[in-house]
Amino acid sequence: MADEPKGSRGSLQGIAMAVVIWAIVVISSLYYVRYGVPELASDRGYLDSLYYVILGITGAAYILYQLALGYVIYRYRGDRPGAESSHWHESHKLELTWTIGTAAILIPIVFTGLIYWDRVRGPAPDDAVTVMAVGAQFQWDFHYPGADGEFGRFDPTLYAIDNQIGLDETDPAAADDWVLTNQLVIPVNRPTRILMRSKDVQHAIFLPNFRVKQDLVPGMTTEVWFTPVKTGSYEVACAELCGLGHYRMRAFLEVMEEADYQQWLSDNAPAAVADVADPAAEAPPASAE
Amino acid sequence: MEHEKQGFVSRYIFSFDHKMIGKQYFTLAMSMGFIGGILAVLIRLQLGFPSQPFPFLENLFPVGMASGIMTPEFYVSLFTMHGTIMVFFLLSLLPVSGFGNFLIPLQIGARDMAFPFLNMLSFWTVVPGAIIIIISFFVEGGAAASGWTAYPPLSAIRSAIPGSDLGQTLWLVGMIFFVASFTMGGLNFVVTILNLRTKGLRMMRMPLTTWAQFIVGILGLLSFPALAAGALLLTFDRSLGTSFFLPAGIFIGDTLMPHEGGTPLLWQHLFWFLGHPEVYIIMLPAMGFTSDILATFCRRPIFGYRSMVYAIWAIGTLSFLVWGHHMFVSGMSPFLGSLFVVTTLAIAIPSAVKAFNWLFTIARAKIHFTSASLFGLGVVSLFVTGGLTGIFLGTNATDIQLHDTYFVVGHFHFIMAGAGLFGAFGAVYYWYPKMFGRMLSERLGKIHFWITFVAYYAVFFPMHYLGVSGMMRRIYDPNVYEYLQPLQPVNLFITISAFVLFAGQLLFIYNYFVSMRRGAPATANPWNSAGLEWSTPAYPGHGNWEGEIPPAHRWPYDYSEPGKKRDFTPQWEA
Repeated sequence: MADEPKGSRGSLQGIAMAVVIWAIVVISSLYYVRYGVPELASDRGYLDSLYYVILGITGAAYILYQLALGYVIYRYRGDRPGAESSHWHESHKLELTWTIGTAAILIPIVFTGLIYWDRVRGPAPDDAVTVMAVGAQFQWDFHYPGADGEFGRFDPTLYAIDNQIGLDETDPAAADDWVLTNQLVIPVNRPTRILMRSKDVQHAIFLPNFRVKQDLVPGMTTEVWFTPVKTGSYEVACAELCGLGHYRMRAFLEVMEEADYQQWLSDNAPAAVADVADPAAEAPPASAE
Repeated sequence: MEHEKQGFVSRYIFSFDHKMIGKQYFTLAMSMGFIGGILAVLIRLQLGFPSQPFPFLENLFPVGMASGIMTPEFYVSLFTMHGTIMVFFLLSLLPVSGFGNFLIPLQIGARDMAFPFLNMLSFWTVVPGAIIIIISFFVEGGAAASGWTAYPPLSAIRSAIPGSDLGQTLWLVGMIFFVASFTMGGLNFVVTILNLRTKGLRMMRMPLTTWAQFIVGILGLLSFPALAAGALLLTFDRSLGTSFFLPAGIFIGDTLMPHEGGTPLLWQHLFWFLGHPEVYIIMLPAMGFTSDILATFCRRPIFGYRSMVYAIWAIGTLSFLVWGHHMFVSGMSPFLGSLFVVTTLAIAIPSAVKAFNWLFTIARAKIHFTSASLFGLGVVSLFVTGGLTGIFLGTNATDIQLHDTYFVVGHFHFIMAGAGLFGAFGAVYYWYPKMFGRMLSERLGKIHFWITFVAYYAVFFPMHYLGVSGMMRRIYDPNVYEYLQPLQPVNLFITISAFVLFAGQLLFIYNYFVSMRRGAPATANPWNSAGLEWSTPAYPGHGNWEGEIPPAHRWPYDYSEPGKKRDFTPQWEA
């Protein structure tokens, strides 16, 4: 056996390798199905569908490839009786098969992804409820434009304890603006458009139940829109490292029936107006916009 | 080739010998990797047992773990430095600088690298970088704490987080040393491979390891300068009051910053223009090692050599066109995002070519199970697992939900860190006899493999579950969120597995150092390999071959040729 590499005895290793790979495939796949995406509360269910399609394709590829890998390791153990290895090492046909095969599977994923991306990133509908999210270490302020639907100007020199978003109260558009801290309330079944800006470092708004994530970049206004389809209370997270309190930069998102939302607006907005802007400002009318 | 008698200093410290320099890189990279591993253990300690006191740790980290409870800022420094150390100082230094320097001249039939002095200089340039990175843990405010990606303004404004003070400055200085060293190395790789190949060694007869190092040299030369430029500009923003990455109106700690006119997105573009090729700088050598190891221990030629070379080229080229997939939700133009989807998923094609060629190399083989071949087979498994999850992240529509979650952490620990690390382990087990003239213990090697392989899956596969369930990366305590609280058992499982994974690596370190003196003496070609490097003596001296350099008569994969008496024909035999 002069030609045998050292340390190659024991087909135990080959059998063990095959068994371990198969076991990993089975266990990892079984557990995978136990962990689903968070409950969906927006109209972005098509993103979930694409996720599940990709999961089906990659899951099948994962299982088949690893099973095959385990099989060839088991089947071609060096010390099996009559072991021979083959010198065969070129097949133009096989190379073409897996090159074209992979491309053929990927192309529909790419195009579906691009179409969905377009839908997600397209302009928000005109009837959207618009809110400005202002991120800061480690707090979310949600700036409502009030009845006029226009955001008052902000000026970084005005940032203060009682003016977290730096609202310029001399701007007429600011008169009916108001702010909620760490809480966002929106109506169900109406598109919501969140504009966002950061006071300090980068943040990212992450609404796990709504399939929404978008960075807040200092110096830029970014935006995202979606339609909530389920009422309830949801958590809002920061998904971009923003400092030592990143992990606790949390807010709540309340989705209400339209009527409840209007009621809530008339109950809450005036107080907020009195707090932030002109105390004489009128409460927003029952029908917003 | 005559060499003067060498003293201790010229032999072990300022050596010009590519093999000694390679081994110096090994020692440095393994030391750094050990530190990076300890950081990982501490990270997992916090996630497995959030905010529980571990009083004995107070002695080690009096500030970061005052009264035994980890502070959030210390946690942020831990994962920042874990990423930095592992990506640059272990996974780049070990397979590229370590094995590149050690193997290229041996595999192409050269006495040394083209520029031995530059080679020595590049090692001694990275050493201060590594020292500075380690020292940064002990300065006021602690080590850098803006992630290994160092996104400004967090990394640019000193008051944004404690680590952004002196720690971040030292991080930037350390990185500039690293880039300088790595660029010198890349230049040396490319020039050596193009000019110093032995007679008969056409490019298409080179082993895939050398092919990978050649492309890696080019990638390093083209991409690392972008990081150097970014790091310099960031240093200017931090220290000289410039505003490359800082817009007007930044308000931190009750102070309005005087900057205006820059944008943080510029940093992201510069960083990822390096950052993505860097992933392949780590991956490609591991792919090369795996190909060489599988061919040897399957006693089969590597399947589809030509398409393997084309795949390396394709991956290397595409790696420059995909950086934007890290920025889908960054505020970058959505149109640009769409473009990056196409280039990103295109990489799946050459990657699939590699995976299938490996599978067909193993099929119809006569596999010898050694520590090296087990790790090689491990690479194939990890590479496919990690590659497939990349499709979710490369498709921008599905990336929205998964971006910056543990799904990403799981993904890159398989494809880049896992395949890279397993490739490096396989390579150490395979080429160790050539490095030290002795064999590693196969028994310890196999135990090391089994612990590492099973624990690796146990640590990183469940991270996909966390990510799908919506757990963000880089959070100090996931239990702050109600919807993440049910995931605590998964985090605990990962933590325990991570401890096992770390403990398994101690076996390797023990084996590596003890076998240097006590290992069984190696023969010149202990694995019956066909590659040119095995034509050197058992423990090659300076200059590698005692007589003439053998010419290459064939490619390095002539195993099991029909009609031959032996099951391999060495590259140097006619």
